[in-house]
Amino acid sequence: MRKVLMSSATTLILAAGLLKFTSVPVVGQRAKPDAGAAKPATVAATFKTPWGDPDLQGIWMPEFMTPFERPDWVGNREFFTDEERKALDERRAKRLGRDFRATKGTVADVSGAYSEVFRTRKRTGPRTSLIVDPSNGRMPPVTPEVQKRRQAQREYELMLLQASQACKDGENVCRGGKYAPPSPRFHDPAPVYPVNGVNRSDNPEDHGLIVRCLSGYIPAGGNGPGFPGADGSYNEVRRIVQTPGGISMNYDVGQGQGFQRTIVMNGSPHLPPHVRQWWGDSRGRWEGNTLVIDITNFSFKVDYMGSRGNMHVVERYTRTGPDTIEYVVTLEDPTTWTRPWTVKDILHKQSDKENRIYAEPRCHEGNYGLPGLLRGARMEEKAYTEGRGPNPAEICQNGCNGVGDDAEQVVGDFAPLK
Amino acid sequence: MRGGSKTSLIGVAVTSAAASAVLSLWVTGAAGQVKVPARIVGKPNLSGIWQANNEAHWDLEAHEARPGAVTQAGVYPYEYAKVPAAPSLPFGAAGGVPGSIGVVQGDGKIPYTPEALKIKEQNAANWIDRDPEVKCYLPGTPRGMYMPYPIQITHSTNKVHVAYSFSAASRTIHLDTVDNPPDDTWMGHSLGRWEGDTLVVDSRHFNDKTWFDRAGNYHSEALHVVERFSLMTPDVIRYEATIEDPKTFTRPWQISMPLYRRMEASMQLLEYRCTEFVEEFLLGMLRREQLVKRWESETMVIDITRRVPEGDRFYDWYGK
Repeated sequence: MRKVLMSSATTLILAAGLLKFTSVPVVGQRAKPDAGAAKPATVAATFKTPWGDPDLQGIWMPEFMTPFERPDWVGNREFFTDEERKALDERRAKRLGRDFRATKGTVADVSGAYSEVFRTRKRTGPRTSLIVDPSNGRMPPVTPEVQKRRQAQREYELMLLQASQACKDGENVCRGGKYAPPSPRFHDPAPVYPVNGVNRSDNPEDHGLIVRCLSGYIPAGGNGPGFPGADGSYNEVRRIVQTPGGISMNYDVGQGQGFQRTIVMNGSPHLPPHVRQWWGDSRGRWEGNTLVIDITNFSFKVDYMGSRGNMHVVERYTRTGPDTIEYVVTLEDPTTWTRPWTVKDILHKQSDKENRIYAEPRCHEGNYGLPGLLRGARMEEKAYTEGRGPNPAEICQNGCNGVGDDAEQVVGDFAPLK
Repeated sequence: MRGGSKTSLIGVAVTSAAASAVLSLWVTGAAGQVKVPARIVGKPNLSGIWQANNEAHWDLEAHEARPGAVTQAGVYPYEYAKVPAAPSLPFGAAGGVPGSIGVVQGDGKIPYTPEALKIKEQNAANWIDRDPEVKCYLPGTPRGMYMPYPIQITHSTNKVHVAYSFSAASRTIHLDTVDNPPDDTWMGHSLGRWEGDTLVVDSRHFNDKTWFDRAGNYHSEALHVVERFSLMTPDVIRYEATIEDPKTFTRPWQISMPLYRRMEASMQLLEYRCTEFVEEFLLGMLRREQLVKRWESETMVIDITRRVPEGDRFYDWYGK
C-alpha cells in the first residue's frame, strides 16, 4: 500500500509536467472484480484515460452464452435461476464430447465434426435473452417486403436442392420442398444478391459471404446471428484503443474474418448516402461515461438478419467495472423490421499480456477451400458430360451436407430442460 | 486487496490533475481532422490519418519513369524502348509508372546476396503473378506504411494501433509487455518503446510472403524491422525503417521518408476491402461460365478492344 501511494504521488508530480503517466490504469485494476458493480456510474467515473475520457481500452469478449431470443419455456422471466444455468451448462458440457453423432461414415458425420472442433461452449449467462426490447425478448416481425424476399430466396434454394440426396432422404435442409428431377432453372442467378451459400457451385458467389472471406459484421459477432455471445459458437474478441478525439476497434471474429474500424469522433455528419461500406460509417460521441456510436451507410451486399443497406445502428459502451463493459445496441430499419429492437450484453476484459486476439492468419490469404469447391464442380461437370459421373445438379454442392443437423444442435443449447 | 477503494480515489485525483494539464496544450493547427493535444503523457501525439506521398510503393530504389506497370519489347530491342504490354495498355498515361529518386538510404541500393538478387529480378519479371498486393494479401511491414492508401494511427499510453485502409489490415504496436504470437505473421509482431521523442518499433515473427514494393523487392521469414517515428512538424512524421534479413541481404539497410497528415477537414479512413475486388482475378477461370472469355489454364488472356468514342475532338481531327 505504501508503495502504491508513493508511486501515485510521484505520478501526480510527473503528470503535471507531462512526462509520465502510466500507473493509474494499474491502480484501477487492483480493485476487486465486483467492486462497485451495483453503481455503474461511480465505477465508470473511476476508469478514465489520462486525458479524461472514460477508459474502455483493452481486449474484450463476452464470456457468457445467452440465447439471442428468449426460449418459450422460460415464459416472461428475464433471468435464469441458478439451478437452470447449472443444468444448461451440464447438458452442454456433455455435448463437448460430441455424444451426438450422425450415422458413422456419412457426409453429415464428417462435416459436423469439422465445425465442432472450432466451437467454444461458454457458460450460460444470467439473462434469458440478449434482446431486451421488445420486452418479450424476441425480435420484432419483419416487414411484408422482407417476408416476400425471403420466400423468393427460399424457393430458389429449394429449386437448387430438389434433385439432391438430401431432398430424396427428406432431410431438414429440404423442409418445405420436394424431391424432383433437376430444374431447368438450375443455372439462373439468385433473385437477390446472394449472402448465404446455395446448393450450386457455378460461381464464387454461390458459396456465400463466409466462404468468400467476406463475412464479419457490425454489430460484431461470430458467424451466427452476429451478436456477441448470441450462440457463443465462435469467439468474438475485440480490442479497443483510445486517443484524444479518436477510437479504434479491432475485431477477431469468425474464422480469420476479423476487421478493424476507426470511429470518427469530430461531430461531423455521416458520409453521403451513396457512399456505402461493408462495416458502415461509425460516428462516435461521449454521453457522460457512455461511448455512443451511430452507424449508417451500410453496403447493400450485407444482409444483417434481413436488413440490407438501410440499417441504422446505435451502439452504447459503458464501463461497469474493472473487468466489464455493458454493451447495448439498438437496431432500426423500417424497411426490414416493424419496430426498432435492442440487445444488451456484457463484455469481459481479457489479459493484455496474453494478448489472445488474432488479426491473423486471415481467411483470404489461406482460402484454398473456395477454389477447391469450384474446381471440384468443374471436374464433376466434365465427368458428367463424358458419362463418368452423375448429373451435378443431383450432387450436394453446398448447404445440404449435414449443416442443417449441426445447426439444430446449437439451437438445442437452450432447448427445454427436463 | 485491502485499501482498494482508497487507491482508486487517488487514481481519480491524479487523473483529473493530468487531464487539465493535458487539455491546456490542445492545439488547433495540427489538423483539419480533430483538435488534438500536441503530446500524450509527455510523448509527441502521433494520432491521425497519414499517407506517404512518394513512389516507394512502385520501387524503393531510384528508378526512371516507364510507360507501363507491365511492359514488353517494342520494335527496337533496347530496354529503354519498351512499350506497354496488354494489361497496362488500355490505361494510357494512367497506366505508367512515375520515376523516383528512391527512399533507400546510403548508396540507394538494396544489398541483396547474389542468389537473392536473382529471385528479386524474377519477381520483377513476373510482377502480376507474384506480387501479394495484386492478390489483396496483407501488405506486411513496412510496405503497408507507404502504399498509396491512407493509414490511421491511434496513439494511446500502452498501445499504438495502426489501421490501414488497404485490405482492412491492422497492427497493434505494444508499448507494454505481451506474449509472443503463436505463429508467424504477415504484419509482424510489433513492440514499441520511446527514445526521447521518437517512437521505436521493433517487429519480428514475420512470414516470407510479403514484399516491399511492386518491383519484386522481397524478404525471408528472418525479416527484422526497426521503425522510427518522429514528428518533423505537427503534420509530418519522419518515418524510417531499418531492414535486416541475413538470408536475403548482406547487411542491414534503411529507408526514410515523410508521412504527411491528411489535412482535409472531413478526412476519415474509408474501406478498401479488396478481397472482393480480386475474386475475378484469382478465381475467374473457375466459373462455370467465365466472364473473361479466354483462359489458358490459370493464365488470363486479355484481348483488348478499344473503340474511339464518337465526337472525340482529337480523333475527329486525326481522321480528316
